[in-house]
Amino acid sequence: MRLGTIASTRYHLSNPSVKGCLVLPTPEEYSVLFLSLRVAFVGTLLGLPVGLAVAWALAKTSMHGKVLLDTLVSFPLVLPPVVTGYALLLLLGRHGPLAGLQEQLGVELLFTWFAAAMAAGLVALPLMVRSMEVAMAGVDARLELAARTLGASRWKAFTGVTVPLAFRGIAAGALLAFARGLGEFGATIVVAGNIPGSTQTLPLAIYTNLQTGNEDAVVRFVTFSLVLALAALLVHRWLLKRVAA
Amino acid sequence: MGEPFLELHFRKSYPGFSLEVDASFGAGITAIFGPSGSGKSTTLDCIAGAARPDSGVLQLWSRTLFSSEGRFLSVNRPPEKRRVGYVHQDGLLFPHLRVRENILFGYNHTPKHRRHLQPNHLVRLLEVESLLHRMPSTLSGGERQRVALARALAASPEVLLLDEPLASLDLPSRGRILRRLRAVHKETGIPMVYVSHALSEVMALAEQALVLDKGRQVAMDAPRRVLHQPPVLPLLEPAHVETLLEGRVVGQHPASGLTEAAFPGFTLWLPTVDREKGEEIAVAIPASDVLVAAEPPHGLSARNVVRATVSALDRVGDSVIVSADAGVTMLAALSPEAAASLELQPGAEVSLVLKSSSIIVLG
Repeated sequence: MRLGTIASTRYHLSNPSVKGCLVLPTPEEYSVLFLSLRVAFVGTLLGLPVGLAVAWALAKTSMHGKVLLDTLVSFPLVLPPVVTGYALLLLLGRHGPLAGLQEQLGVELLFTWFAAAMAAGLVALPLMVRSMEVAMAGVDARLELAARTLGASRWKAFTGVTVPLAFRGIAAGALLAFARGLGEFGATIVVAGNIPGSTQTLPLAIYTNLQTGNEDAVVRFVTFSLVLALAALLVHRWLLKRVAA
Repeated sequence: MGEPFLELHFRKSYPGFSLEVDASFGAGITAIFGPSGSGKSTTLDCIAGAARPDSGVLQLWSRTLFSSEGRFLSVNRPPEKRRVGYVHQDGLLFPHLRVRENILFGYNHTPKHRRHLQPNHLVRLLEVESLLHRMPSTLSGGERQRVALARALAASPEVLLLDEPLASLDLPSRGRILRRLRAVHKETGIPMVYVSHALSEVMALAEQALVLDKGRQVAMDAPRRVLHQPPVLPLLEPAHVETLLEGRVVGQHPASGLTEAAFPGFTLWLPTVDREKGEEIAVAIPASDVLVAAEPPHGLSARNVVRATVSALDRVGDSVIVSADAGVTMLAALSPEAAASLELQPGAEVSLVLKSSSIIVLG
């Protein structure tokens, strides 16, 4: 048996038809795109305060336990995303530490698009932190001292000097996290499932359509992914080019 | 010198370096002088709150900035609560803000009841009105320092710390900043602590000087007296000893290509300076370019002959530094043989001979 045959057997693949690829995406397919954008965007927003705080602590303080913090936020980078998802599942689950809070608020996060956003944010956190940490470390500490001798608190020095001067690096980190969030699969499927119209993001839709043999749809979803990835990379490059200048 | 306003009694050590300071500064301009690595900048960092002393007490106008005394009573105020203005040699303007926003940065962070200096006034005093809408990266070194001074003062600090503010400037800017500094001090009465490795700046500006060497305090006195203290002399490099003078232009002589300027006690002919009669001028005269004559010389090509009384002779490296009083203290460097053959003694009348071309106009 040739390899191609094995793959075909598993996925019921035919070659995508030229005609199928030229068909415009359906409204459902567009809504997958918009859901993915929303999940990645909200995931990035959720990650931002954590990312900024951790990056600042790593770049600008000499606190004890930096190694521990660094290791902790790096975990999602090296762990299988499914494991990260499982950790999040335990956190949000019925017996998890956030169960009481969810009950009080009358919400259940698991298997919602918001859980998908949390998964995307968590898995992308290490990328965000790396990029922001480098950017903040590049801000002359004497400028922050100057701000503080002028009466600015640590917080004001951070928001008024560190963040604006590291802005491009911070934006690049957020963008990288956004792009990574768009591609999130493993953790998402654990905490949010694969519910069409609710939690089915682009990678999940590609996987589902591959399994059902709807290869024309796969090609359209892949096209979405390629365009987004290309746009993200171009903007990222532009941001970092200005940093170097 | 006014009443003591700054009490510094602390120790601070890094691997391979330890600093011990035990001094109180009067409310004028105090210089901290010493070679690089002597602990000058570390001292400023401890006052500003950028470095934490290992032990001791620091007080500003009897407000405790730092104290390690007693485990429960230890104090270490953060920089923003110290009311200390800090001007670094690079200016350290915020590169993302215009000059105007830079100056307002500290002002806006100062509680209303503590604002005694108005930005409008400071902007005029430091001659930065025309720069307000510029970005820091477009400023010259001298402009940057003036803006940095205005920014620090706009926060109405109780002391102004200056870390080598002239070190990265060209010659004309040095004189201008020096004059501005004095004007600012006169006008605002804010005490200053001025860190420098240039003795001439210390002598021109400060009323008292703390001399540090390798983290040790070797002298604390008026700059003119500090110069002659044996532990200070080895710290001077004869090549860098110079006299800084400030005076006024009294006449222009285009035909001879010279400018005449009056200083306390004498006048000098300088290379032509594009400046109106009556304007202020600052010059530096390297000690090695000053000739000493025991008798008033005749038939000399040099224009400038100044009568002076020798006040001290100090051996510095391979030279003898002659301090002579001519209304202000002038410094001349001689070889030991020359000093011996002239039979110079404190109290002797001498003539100092200066070539116009060896006088450096600072602005």
